[in-house]
Amino acid sequence: MKTIKVNHLARVEGDGGITVEFDGNKLSKVNVDIFEGPRLIEALAVGKTAQEINSITPRICAICTVSHKNASVRACDRALAIPETKKTYYTRELMHLGEIVESHSLHVFALALPDFLGYPNVIAMVDKYKDIVMQALNLKKFGNRIMQITNGKFIHGENAVAGGYGKFPSKTELLEIKTTAESFMEFVTAATDIVGGLEIPSYLEEETVFGCCNPDDSNSFGYWGDSIIVSDGTIIPAMEYKENLIERVVPHSFAKRSLYKGKPFSVTALGRLINLGDRLKGNAGEYYRKYRNWRWNRNPFFNNLAQSIEMIYCLERIPVVIDKLLEMKDTPIQEPTRSDGRGVGLVEAPRGLLVHDYTFRDGKIIDCNIITPTAYNLDDMEKYIGIAAKNLNNAGQETEAIRFELEKIARSYDPCISCATHLVNVIKK
Amino acid sequence: MSKKPTLGVYGFTGCAGCQLAIIDCEDQLVDLFEAADIKVFYEAMSNNDDEAEVDIALVEGSINTEKQKEELLEIRKKAKILVAFGSCANYGCVQTMANDDGKWAERFKKVYGDVKFTVGKAMEAQPISNFVKVDVSIPGCSPSTPQMLMAFTKLLNGNMPVYTNAPVCLECKFRENECLLNKDILCLGPLTKGGCTAPCPTHNTGCVGCWGIIDEANHTAELKLMVEKGFKADDIIRKFSIFGGGKITAKINELMEVVQ
Repeated sequence: MKTIKVNHLARVEGDGGITVEFDGNKLSKVNVDIFEGPRLIEALAVGKTAQEINSITPRICAICTVSHKNASVRACDRALAIPETKKTYYTRELMHLGEIVESHSLHVFALALPDFLGYPNVIAMVDKYKDIVMQALNLKKFGNRIMQITNGKFIHGENAVAGGYGKFPSKTELLEIKTTAESFMEFVTAATDIVGGLEIPSYLEEETVFGCCNPDDSNSFGYWGDSIIVSDGTIIPAMEYKENLIERVVPHSFAKRSLYKGKPFSVTALGRLINLGDRLKGNAGEYYRKYRNWRWNRNPFFNNLAQSIEMIYCLERIPVVIDKLLEMKDTPIQEPTRSDGRGVGLVEAPRGLLVHDYTFRDGKIIDCNIITPTAYNLDDMEKYIGIAAKNLNNAGQETEAIRFELEKIARSYDPCISCATHLVNVIKK
Repeated sequence: MSKKPTLGVYGFTGCAGCQLAIIDCEDQLVDLFEAADIKVFYEAMSNNDDEAEVDIALVEGSINTEKQKEELLEIRKKAKILVAFGSCANYGCVQTMANDDGKWAERFKKVYGDVKFTVGKAMEAQPISNFVKVDVSIPGCSPSTPQMLMAFTKLLNGNMPVYTNAPVCLECKFRENECLLNKDILCLGPLTKGGCTAPCPTHNTGCVGCWGIIDEANHTAELKLMVEKGFKADDIIRKFSIFGGGKITAKINELMEVVQ
């Protein structure tokens, strides 16, 4: 029997691990273990007001703080029938684009790229790839700057609330964002070509199903909607997510799992491009068409490329949103028009579909259900890790090399384990 | 030049935002990796040395599994200076808002049902100071960049960071904001530790108290003022409890009885 143990899955957010066991040459167990302790946020939500829940739920995760904020305000708006002004709508979109830029630049350049170029971390890449590293950090900083301007702080801001904003960004701040967005286009397109040129391993390929938010405008790409679009053509209304994406608890994970039609599925940037990529215009559309191929539906490693193409989309979309905002007057925070009701807020976090589902009675939450993209992705992640482990083992790879590849697969999903969990364990019996 | 100080960044249960706040120092990140010999930082790197003894341990998150408790005790043994980094490590943050109410097992069952976990034994989340001696406290949800960098600079040069003991309220005055309490917006700024530069009141949203309650303040007088302004006692207590944890809830409850 041969055992290899690594105590933490590195360059991901939160505490999780992988256990793969072989009985001879037969794969006997694949578990993505989630050790991150349970915080029971859904139970603690009970008794809270809309404004309080808008402040609590973003604390589920720092990298997805704005996604949680947007899911939370959308759920409250829907549950309490709070009108959403255009100014609020587009400021929320701008805030969201900021998070996508920040999170994707962090993941693609600082967490994933070192894998493909053979470095332990992004700072170690400075000697050889100084320009890329510095520009990537600047791009990440720009994403943070957008969140700071729109939400008050770049981690856990409190400016966005159900019904609107405490204070809208000023004209000067909006113009600063617009100009900076335009200045990054050259870097991001060049970086997308670097990511697009990386050799993608083929030891794990198998077709899967992808889900993402169905944008309000059926011609547009976007990061939220009131229904879910699945790559098999199905549209699931927001209020029916529970009946279609079936949740269950497994003993090896404090994060819950979900299946669609009895099978694992993926909700990632890659899933968004597979479902909605045909709607992309401009540079983003050009890069999508340049790199789209049939392997995308079979190989989660393409998620890094999808994230790069999304950064192009964001940089093109930001000036459009800002031009709209510059024409609009500030609006006061809109009040609830009822105190009882259920609302489901669906948004695309950088790493996939995020659901906040609240039921209010007398203005306070009586029921709360939150499902995060990493939780949705865990079953599919386990599936691909299993396929890879089997194929690499059959090819006679050393356990240490297998371990590295399995970590890389987990990382390609850009998991966020606080949201949902570090340890790779390959046991050969 | 003398040998670089060694540093470990460790994360427990929370949102990982305090570690992210370090990675978010984009302009100083390269300098930080040069100034310290970083032995452990899972969120940022894969060449980690778990066994290493470190001069400074930055510990993020609250403790809510037996495994974490054991790991924390190990970190304490290996570290010369242990820093409670962020609100979870210092006070427990949102996951401890209902601590000691005796209903944790009920909440656990509500979320997970009757599944018998093999992944570890969960318990009610607690700040790290409930288990180990904390040498330095850096508060915040998440810590502010200037306050954090000042503390790192001091620590890496062998000095202890010192903070002013002033509330958010003072920083709000520095920014010339009109007081939100005067606009009938419930704001915890007068009783919350400063250091954040008051971003929330600056955006017309009341302070949520995420830096923790300030030690030296006339708590009773402030609560009395809030009640006199017309805010309901229940709303005030609930707002303090969200970031304050079970202990603060008990304290505010007690003071509120005096006030009313």
